[in-house]
Amino acid sequence: MKIIIINEKIGANCITLEDGQQIYDAIYPELSAGKPVELDFDKVKIFASPFFNSAIGRLLKDIEPDALNRLLVFKNLNPDGMVVLKRVIENSKQYYSNENTRKTIDEILLAQGEDQ
Amino acid sequence: MAVIQVPTINDHAQDFDRLFDLWNRVNGDSLEVVFDFSSCNFIRQNGVAFLGGLARLIQYRQGRVDFKWGTLQRNIFTNLAQNGFLAAFGFPKSAWLGNSIPYREDSFQDKDAVINYLKTRWIGHKWVQAHISERLQDSMIGKVWEIYANAFEHGQSPTGVFSCGQYYPDQQELKLTVVDFGIGIPAKVRLHFRHDPRALHISASNCLQWAFKRGHSTGTEGISRGVGLDLLKEFVKINKGGLDLFSHEGCARVDEKIDMVANRTSFFEGTLVNITLKCDESFYHFSDETVEGPLF
Repeated sequence: MKIIIINEKIGANCITLEDGQQIYDAIYPELSAGKPVELDFDKVKIFASPFFNSAIGRLLKDIEPDALNRLLVFKNLNPDGMVVLKRVIENSKQYYSNENTRKTIDEILLAQGEDQ
Repeated sequence: MAVIQVPTINDHAQDFDRLFDLWNRVNGDSLEVVFDFSSCNFIRQNGVAFLGGLARLIQYRQGRVDFKWGTLQRNIFTNLAQNGFLAAFGFPKSAWLGNSIPYREDSFQDKDAVINYLKTRWIGHKWVQAHISERLQDSMIGKVWEIYANAFEHGQSPTGVFSCGQYYPDQQELKLTVVDFGIGIPAKVRLHFRHDPRALHISASNCLQWAFKRGHSTGTEGISRGVGLDLLKEFVKINKGGLDLFSHEGCARVDEKIDMVANRTSFFEGTLVNITLKCDESFYHFSDETVEGPLF
């Protein structure tokens, strides 16, 4: 199993898209080849959604949830990080299942019409 | 040279109107502007961040800015000296630590510099440290970073991002304003939907409403986004704090009881976020979340 110590690779703050990209680049080839990966968040303290969007959320574009559940292990992720991660995964699943922006603008204009 | 009177600036809705009026009065190229503080009795962190950003915007547009430091009342002078505003604009007096959280300019996203500022200067005050745990401090910083991330990524500001904060020990409150003079959220949302001619007619408040909704983002790189503002809103509600966002003529207000957007008569091109957080650990219940069932 490939083990990535996040604090060594990124530092104690996992907050940017760019840092998330580094993790994505490191884990995507392994996961898409069906190999397990462990992400160890020991000593990581600050989390924000851009990091997880880029590192983890994107995986759902090409890899099935069942495979990710089987292959990707999160270790030492603190509760705050877990909240952000869960929200990102939930959002990502929805995003990759429906990119119907046309419907969205219809909804905005409909709401606007009701306001007027 | 145009002499602009800086008014008293609190952080109520009408105070933001006064700030945006200043923007409207200097919205041109090659202007020569002098800011006079004779009419200013008080200026909060929102006024400091906005005024600093406005001065840099004038300079970026090949204009010239002077401040009549001699017109500052003593208490405001001390505040602006302490938070580093005076030094940022050439007055020979260095900042020092106190209840004012430093005025800050970021021309590009430097995560370590911003996190260091939030950690050591914003939340790092010994009074805050005494009230909330390190765990909560880290959580607060992560949520506030979402404001900076949006400003750097979506703001497209030619002059960067400006911030300033303030402690209010009596109210147990910690405030921070982050402002950019970029294209603003309504313009970004309309641009996102440009394939549809009806997008031009979406009101500013509806653009903000769309942007605040979970999963909505103007990012186009094929990555799911739009969770940051939602997490921030949720945090502000639990915290019993408050969040005000202004962009173009749209505004949004979030607090424990309110979650609303509206259109106002005042306008400024850019985005300003003013956040108030309570330094009270009792509002939080960090559960030691374990993964129950599959994550994906």
